Amino acid sequence: MDARLRRVNKEIADCKNDRSSKIQLELVDDSPFHLNGSFPGPEGTPYEGGHFEVDIRIPESYPFQPLKMKFITKVYHPNVSSASGAICLDILKDAWSPVLTLKSTLISLQSLLCSPEPNDPQDAEVAKHYMTSRSSFESTARYWTHIYAGGPDPNAKDGGKGKDGQRDEVAIAGLEKAHVNQFEALGFERGKVIDVLRRLNYRGVNVTKITEDRVVEELLKP
Amino acid sequence: MSDDYSDDDYYYDEDEDMMDAEDDDGSAPSDDDMDMEVFDNDFKIPGKAVKKSYEVDAEPLSQAQVERLMQADVDHISGIFGVEASVASLLLRHMNWNKERLIEKYMDNATAVNVDAGVALAEDEAPKAATNSRVASSPKFSSTGPTRSTRSFKSSKVKSPSPKREELFVCPICFDDTQTQTMSLSCTHKFCASCWNAYVTGKIREEGEHSIRCMAEGCALVAPDPFIHEALGNDTATWTRFQGLLVRHFVSCNRNLKFCPYPNCTYTVSCPAAATKSALLSIVPTVVCGASPDHKFCFGCAVESDHRPVICAVAGMWLQKCHDDSETANWIKSNTKECSKCQSTIEKNGGCNHMTCKKCKHEFCWVCMGPWTEHGTAWYSCNRYDEKASQDARDAQSKSRASLERYLHYYNRWANHEQSAKLSMDLYKKTEQKMEEMQITSELTWIEVQFMKKAVDEVFKCRMTLKWTYAMAYYLERGNPKELFEDNQRDLEKAVEDLSELLEQSIEPAEIASLRQKVTDKTVYVQKRNEIMLEDTANGFLEGRWEWNSTVDGLD
Repeated sequence: MDARLRRVNKEIADCKNDRSSKIQLELVDDSPFHLNGSFPGPEGTPYEGGHFEVDIRIPESYPFQPLKMKFITKVYHPNVSSASGAICLDILKDAWSPVLTLKSTLISLQSLLCSPEPNDPQDAEVAKHYMTSRSSFESTARYWTHIYAGGPDPNAKDGGKGKDGQRDEVAIAGLEKAHVNQFEALGFERGKVIDVLRRLNYRGVNVTKITEDRVVEELLKP
Repeated sequence: MSDDYSDDDYYYDEDEDMMDAEDDDGSAPSDDDMDMEVFDNDFKIPGKAVKKSYEVDAEPLSQAQVERLMQADVDHISGIFGVEASVASLLLRHMNWNKERLIEKYMDNATAVNVDAGVALAEDEAPKAATNSRVASSPKFSSTGPTRSTRSFKSSKVKSPSPKREELFVCPICFDDTQTQTMSLSCTHKFCASCWNAYVTGKIREEGEHSIRCMAEGCALVAPDPFIHEALGNDTATWTRFQGLLVRHFVSCNRNLKFCPYPNCTYTVSCPAAATKSALLSIVPTVVCGASPDHKFCFGCAVESDHRPVICAVAGMWLQKCHDDSETANWIKSNTKECSKCQSTIEKNGGCNHMTCKKCKHEFCWVCMGPWTEHGTAWYSCNRYDEKASQDARDAQSKSRASLERYLHYYNRWANHEQSAKLSMDLYKKTEQKMEEMQITSELTWIEVQFMKKAVDEVFKCRMTLKWTYAMAYYLERGNPKELFEDNQRDLEKAVEDLSELLEQSIEPAEIASLRQKVTDKTVYVQKRNEIMLEDTANGFLEGRWEWNSTVDGLD
């Protein structure tokens, strides 16, 4: 039997037998080389309660080449692209070792959620947010976990899952409602205001550093 | 140099002397036979002939020769440190083949160097089996070569943490329990031989990696060459590729060596004369690798394979300038003005001087750039604005216009020679036809009509020289040296154009003999003018005669 197939089959079986890690693997299109992995958000983090799905592709020369992984679930994290789900993690690149497995890599991803590396970011905007205001970053990450990963509603008193289905674009962008309203009142489109303020990192102490003129200037750009 | 030559070489030398003598009196030789010999000398690879000041000492090396150089370094280190050759090789590669630094660091702290180079494990990561001194253990390890064990044979060098598990060895990578052969480095991380093979092959073939670490996660041990050889088994193609990678690494670490940039060429050129940046300010190291005389490249830069006579830094500056759109900016500066209110760029293409900016509707006077309202009804009353400020502005404008013209003067000639040189490929084909024609219409043999081809070759070479003289002249400061330079340039250009014209002429059967005479004479003359140009410029660099009108990288 093909060594790659044997190894992948064994890894999948190992994962199924191991219930303690709570890591799940599913085949996509019945191919053992295209998988969908998922794990719960780590406790004590803004990702707690969420269920995160990862797209896994097993390359031709696996296990001598690293797995190709990206988040399917949108994650608000400095090392994960908020747009594409691409992950910046050393073991998925040059620090890969053939000894690593699907399970150990997914556990590494889980622990990446616990300990972001904002100095080596995948998403520079998110990383800036993380560096400027940790509490604001965490509430945004929690909101994303609620919206995209089925986590608890951060605003609900009982901690139950929000069912209103109304997505708050301002909270998704990690901004203050008051700021968005302020510029929207000047006659700019709400979506554009959110976009510009997010790009400028109009949060926390940064708000005092960015003049209103600067924001308006950005808003006026076509 | 000629003293070393035997009698057989005497005639050869004499030819060289004659050529030099001709250079001195400047008379063209008339004897046909001698012309052919002059040509022949010219077609020899430079280096054998008397060295000219525009040539550099360079030695082409084959891959085997470079490997011998590597081996010498490895033997040297292995002798000093008393370690196996494979270990010495790993240490050298880790230090980018800097022997002096390696020796210094090794003497300072051998353990640290061994750990950094992946020769030995750090103390806290060492397997329990090997508790003896790290420095002493590393040569011991390699003297046994790779550790290879089979199920029936228990290795005495590397003790498995629990002998029981060895009976049920399951490779942690392929999960195959039927593998009988395992291999491990001195870290005792054991994997089956086929996984090692796949891993090493992938690293070499796909990643072009020559430093191959142990497969275990976080293990920094590097596989020595005998281990890699063993892991590859009979795969000699990959082993050869690995050797090639090592050679490339060695060459890239050595300033005296450069890999031939031509595709699939395995030759290296050694040119110690051009190894330092400061040397490149006085010489143009155009070298030829041993594989083919066409493999000509510049040892100092990647700008162009042969940019003689001008040095790398100036050639680079010139190309940068040509590629930059800075000249577009120059054109804009000299042909347009900016609206004094919104700074839009405006080109005036007719009409009166009462301008209205299309963008901001600002009305102004094109002559003085002041607002139109102050002009009243008379459109030309702006002489009172002729103050210092506007005077300066006009000066700046005319200056930039002059600088653009100056640049275009040199650029047009530079580009023209490049274009003509390219066209000489067509000329080649035409010339070949003519040569055949000549054979038919006259009694000349194929060998005897070669003069045409040689003339085209010479024209091509000289056009390349001429091309770069324009780049050089652009940056030369005005003065006597530049005048002399331009005199040489003019003489060469005139000679080249004359010869070009001769080559383009149609052939009258009756005049072939005289044409041949003319072309041959001209070719020799052109060749000489080219030599003078190259030689004088090269000497100028060596003497520091040239003065530049802008700062050249590295020169004061």
